[in-house]
Amino acid sequence: MENLQWQVPEDLYYDRNDYWVKIQRDEAVIGLTAFGQYNTGDILYLELPTEGTALTRGKKIGSIESGKWVGKLTAPLTGQVIESNQKVESNPHIVNQDAFGEGWLYRMLLQDPAEVAELMNATGYDRWIAEQIQKEKETTVL
Amino acid sequence: MDYYRLGRVKWWQTQAYYHALAEMGREGLLICYTDTPYVCLGLHDDLEQEINQEYCTQQRLPLIRRETGGGVVYLDNRQIFFQLVLNRDNPILPLSRTRFYNKFLTPAINVCRRLGINATLKEPADITIDTRKCSGNASGDIGEGVAYVGNLLINFDCEIMCNILRTPSPRYDRILRKTMKSNLTNLSQWSQRSRITRENIMTMLEKEFSYWFLLNRCSLDEQLEKRAQEVFKRLTAPEWLSMAGRKRPYRKIKIAEEIYLLEHKITDDVSLSVVVEDGVITEIDSNSTAINNLIKSHIGNRWDEDFLNNTVELTQRFTG
Repeated sequence: MENLQWQVPEDLYYDRNDYWVKIQRDEAVIGLTAFGQYNTGDILYLELPTEGTALTRGKKIGSIESGKWVGKLTAPLTGQVIESNQKVESNPHIVNQDAFGEGWLYRMLLQDPAEVAELMNATGYDRWIAEQIQKEKETTVL
Repeated sequence: MDYYRLGRVKWWQTQAYYHALAEMGREGLLICYTDTPYVCLGLHDDLEQEINQEYCTQQRLPLIRRETGGGVVYLDNRQIFFQLVLNRDNPILPLSRTRFYNKFLTPAINVCRRLGINATLKEPADITIDTRKCSGNASGDIGEGVAYVGNLLINFDCEIMCNILRTPSPRYDRILRKTMKSNLTNLSQWSQRSRITRENIMTMLEKEFSYWFLLNRCSLDEQLEKRAQEVFKRLTAPEWLSMAGRKRPYRKIKIAEEIYLLEHKITDDVSLSVVVEDGVITEIDSNSTAINNLIKSHIGNRWDEDFLNNTVELTQRFTG
């Protein structure tokens, strides 16, 4: 993987599955990071959780498809979905084009705001990205 | 790497075993082929939109929905499957799942080359001979694992493949059959028949994968069999098969990497069938003679929304 400079906004939190989290009091907006969408590839389909869906941190809440791969969308925090982004459901490529803006995935109500402490800040996520890239250079046989 | 040379197995087992391994957190390589034909949907395919269910019922073709990507496929005993299950934290996996196809498909490509067939990878995940697709491949995160599944077409019936797909018009159906035949191929067309046997292909695949992994030949154990049975029930359950999938306001069938056949409704009475290859219109036809000559002049142009909007405007002008 090339050493690209990844956009990592300072005002967000991040998890190890490459989600960004914007905290707004007792709510959060969730999206996929620039690094995450790059590794996913051209996103062809998103199945997002619907309004009212209960979310448990780390558990599957939807799915994502790109090229010939499908993966799970997991919840970075526990709570309930308030709204999912209909625009990205009908045009998933928006996530590739504007991961931190129009490409947000869903908005949720937090059940336990203390969980936010488990997430990484921008510096931590930046460091985590560098570690992942380094690990891949050392171990992947392609 | 645990290796299961299964050979001929029941149709549902060609899907169930690799799902079961992934769910159980076990890694393994499986090589097999199906005893009878069946139709397999990708995870996000919409049954109603994609499948001609009447035909499948008449032909007694069972349906199953897998948990990997890719589209609808017709599978029969003229295809050899190779399926690799890895734990998701296996360090040989790159950060981009799609990039792993470069490695995963190398053994199959080498099998073709050993048969004197000049096969190449068309990224991200097609094996082609003379630009024509000769395999079907997909991957997905299943349980704690990730499964990469592929096949080599020893022979392939494009007519049946087209028959199982729902088509919006006779014109679209005609173009589909023509486009599929010209973009798909199989090993039998390119090498001596005596060398293209199931046993030979499986043995060659095994050898090629053995250059990559130390293969530990295994038999199916009770736990795996039991889990496979559970997977079979789940993947063929009516509610799973009829799960809502990707719905489009227009019909789109992927023929091969970057080759699509689209059908757009332009007005209540006029529709357009378009073959797009690498973003370029290579064939276009409509049921309106008034606009056909004009739209055919766009062959060779890029397909985009502007073109579609202009065609709508043109059609409304010419057909009132």
